[in-house]
Amino acid sequence: MSIDESDRRSDVVVCNNVWKIFGARASEAMEAVKKDNLSKAEVLERFEYVVGVRDVSINVGEGEVFCIMGLSGSGKSTLVRHINRLIEPTHGEILINGTNVGGLGAEDLREMRANQIGMVFQNMALLPHRTVRDNIAFSLELRNVDAFTRSEIADKMIGLVSLQGYGDRLPADLSGGMQQRVGLARAMAADPDILLMDEPFSALDPLIRRGLQDEFLDLSKTMKKTTLFITHDLDEAIRMGSRIAIMKDGEIVQIGTPEKIVTEPADDYVADFVAGISKLKLIFAHTVMQPVEQYEKEVKKLPALDKCPQATPDDDLDTLVGVSVGQDNPIVIMSDSKPVGIVTKDALLRGIQGEV
Amino acid sequence: MSQDDLKLFKEFAGQNGDYYADKFLQIQKSILPRTHINYAALLGSFVWAGLRGNWLLFTIGFVIDLVAMVNLALFFKYAEKASEYIGQDDKIYLLDRYDGWSSNHLLMAVLTFVLGRILFAWFADRFYANQYARWRTDEKTPSSFVLSRLVIVAVVSALILPLTIYRSTQFVPEQRACIKQDRLIESGEQVPFKDRFNCAVMGEFPTLIWIDRPDTINYRKDDSGQYVEIRTPAREGAPPFNLNKYMSQTIDDGIQYATIFYGSIFDQITAFLNSMLNAIEAVFVGTPWPVTMLVLVFIAYKMAGRRTAIFAAASLFYLAIFDFWQTAMDTMSLVVASTIICTIVGLPLGIWVGKSDRGNSITTPILDVMQTIPSFVYLLPAIAFFSIGKPPAILATVIFAMPPMVRLTALGIKHVPENTKEAALAFGANPRQLLTKVELPLALPSIMAGMNQVVMMSLAMVVIAAFIGAGGMGFIVVEALNNAETGRGLLAGFGIALLAMMIDSVVQKANKIRD
Repeated sequence: MSIDESDRRSDVVVCNNVWKIFGARASEAMEAVKKDNLSKAEVLERFEYVVGVRDVSINVGEGEVFCIMGLSGSGKSTLVRHINRLIEPTHGEILINGTNVGGLGAEDLREMRANQIGMVFQNMALLPHRTVRDNIAFSLELRNVDAFTRSEIADKMIGLVSLQGYGDRLPADLSGGMQQRVGLARAMAADPDILLMDEPFSALDPLIRRGLQDEFLDLSKTMKKTTLFITHDLDEAIRMGSRIAIMKDGEIVQIGTPEKIVTEPADDYVADFVAGISKLKLIFAHTVMQPVEQYEKEVKKLPALDKCPQATPDDDLDTLVGVSVGQDNPIVIMSDSKPVGIVTKDALLRGIQGEV
Repeated sequence: MSQDDLKLFKEFAGQNGDYYADKFLQIQKSILPRTHINYAALLGSFVWAGLRGNWLLFTIGFVIDLVAMVNLALFFKYAEKASEYIGQDDKIYLLDRYDGWSSNHLLMAVLTFVLGRILFAWFADRFYANQYARWRTDEKTPSSFVLSRLVIVAVVSALILPLTIYRSTQFVPEQRACIKQDRLIESGEQVPFKDRFNCAVMGEFPTLIWIDRPDTINYRKDDSGQYVEIRTPAREGAPPFNLNKYMSQTIDDGIQYATIFYGSIFDQITAFLNSMLNAIEAVFVGTPWPVTMLVLVFIAYKMAGRRTAIFAAASLFYLAIFDFWQTAMDTMSLVVASTIICTIVGLPLGIWVGKSDRGNSITTPILDVMQTIPSFVYLLPAIAFFSIGKPPAILATVIFAMPPMVRLTALGIKHVPENTKEAALAFGANPRQLLTKVELPLALPSIMAGMNQVVMMSLAMVVIAAFIGAGGMGFIVVEALNNAETGRGLLAGFGIALLAMMIDSVVQKANKIRD
């Protein structure tokens, strides 16, 4: 699941030094901010302007689910609206498949929004007067696709999000979870490369949220859409994201894989978030193991290999706990049928606590 | 209740702190005797309230005393007037009248003073406790007993009391008498100061601006068929105009100019409205009654269901059986014509108002004026530009009935959720698609409510427009008014009510069913 900087595929979405300051004379404020390095609070005090996004640079690779996590007001929704230019940046550029979004004319921009980017909203934002099928086909209708093709594609999407039989219903007849499936189907109807998901599951109750998260993960594996997934819930970010960017006051505090965020929080703010997170599935054997020689030097001679529970370096703590139950000997981590490390019970317990 | 509270009570009250602390405590404990009154307030009335800084009580006390004093003054005035007629046997009825008035006013004066003061004194401490509560939350609330407030009390009294009471002792001069007096003064004659003073401060606001009588303007066709302006100067020595007369004259001149030199525009509008109305009348009036009736009931059934259709049938039957069929269909044609125009003009206007702040700030005051001007006033310019008949009646109706269409359309457009619009934009909608596929459909209930309003208001106005020759049901009512034919007027009025209820219930039910 982890994607290192080295094996990243080509970048689909690139944001370079994006700034957004809300206010009539934003560029003036921008100058001042750059010159005096003002904080968000100082800009608010001096200009009464709000800094929405502050010098954000991200790259999202093809097929990646990139989570942007932050509390409300951290600028995550503002940032994602720059990508389809629902909001114009005060400074910086956004590239989609190498095209500068800021340079597009009105018609090209609409074309790009319709063909390349699908968006899912927290409050669904479905059209109440249209049936589920017509809602899903909305982006196609905007592109003047004929009615027959529209309904064909919409029906396929309905099957994809398991809403068979609801095509002719109105959104009001559907539960919240079903409505958000319609939202998802609508976003994917035009077969875009990129999905922008703005807290799609936040308004749903926990069980339904869980189910939709799983369904979306399955879908995203088969559809291979590059996804920017916004959430205020770190659990969700960890479940969904191949990488996570944590935002605070419009700035990105840390970008990394879930494991990296959990094991090496960049500052106290991130550490606070991570504190309550279960590490069982986030930390892997290679992080908690110690070399065999060190173990033999510090503790004792390793018992015979066949008397020890065994695991591979890529097994997570959950698996390690499973193999270790009922065994007295430490776990031997095997790679290419050679022992490469030892995980003692102590190290395992510490690992579960997040201390490695 | 802690000592601190008592200390605060005293700090607030200042003078006589112990008394007020005691009373506030009783009020908070709800043990203040029902009959408790404040004797300082009973004696001092508004002066007491002023000194305590309670300006609400000050106003109440002041008004009570002022009413009592005015009545006392009126008692003296009419008593004196009555004494003029003592002994004049032929004027005995005047003596009786003024005697009666004077004793009435004496009774009012005494009652107001006694009851008012007692009530005031009863409320005094209770209101004062409220002031204390306000003072606790807002320290700027006046508190304690401050002698310098006497200045305010004195100034207010001096500004209001003498002139008001003096006016009650005098008979108000008529405006004509005052105008005559102005002339006399201008010609150098001496007028007693008292008369001049009375004219200046009583009755109508004195005429400040006198304007020389303008020329009378008329237009005649000369030999070549061109209109020529003919100015007739005012006759020598004619009295000047005041501002009202001068402006009225100017407006009349302007309308006259417009109708003569731009008459063709108005003629074309009239012709257009006439042809539109003819087409509609051909449907409503020209179709034989069995067909129209069936079609109307069928439409009601389709749009609003069985019950409404039965009601519509009953209403139509009433109109038919009381000989109102043709006139009612006449009225319907007018309503339909003005509703169509209101929608064609009002809908785009409403969209503009809903989407643009500038449109909103431009149209809001205009719509306010359109809605507040009494409906009769619209008839005047309609007659001036289009003379009498149905076209001006439709125009007056359109102006009267359009505001709700604009307002409710704008409201509907404004209330389309921001995030729904954002979603449409995110999927690549252009402005036209945003309007037709998102904003208008979501605003439709509001727009339909506007249409309903338009129909109702059109019907109301079409009846009034009978005064300028709109005909229809309204004409029967106007005729009945003129000839005091109560029964006939009431029958027609009921018919109009049925017509209105019929249309209203069909449109409303239709809206509900669609939702």
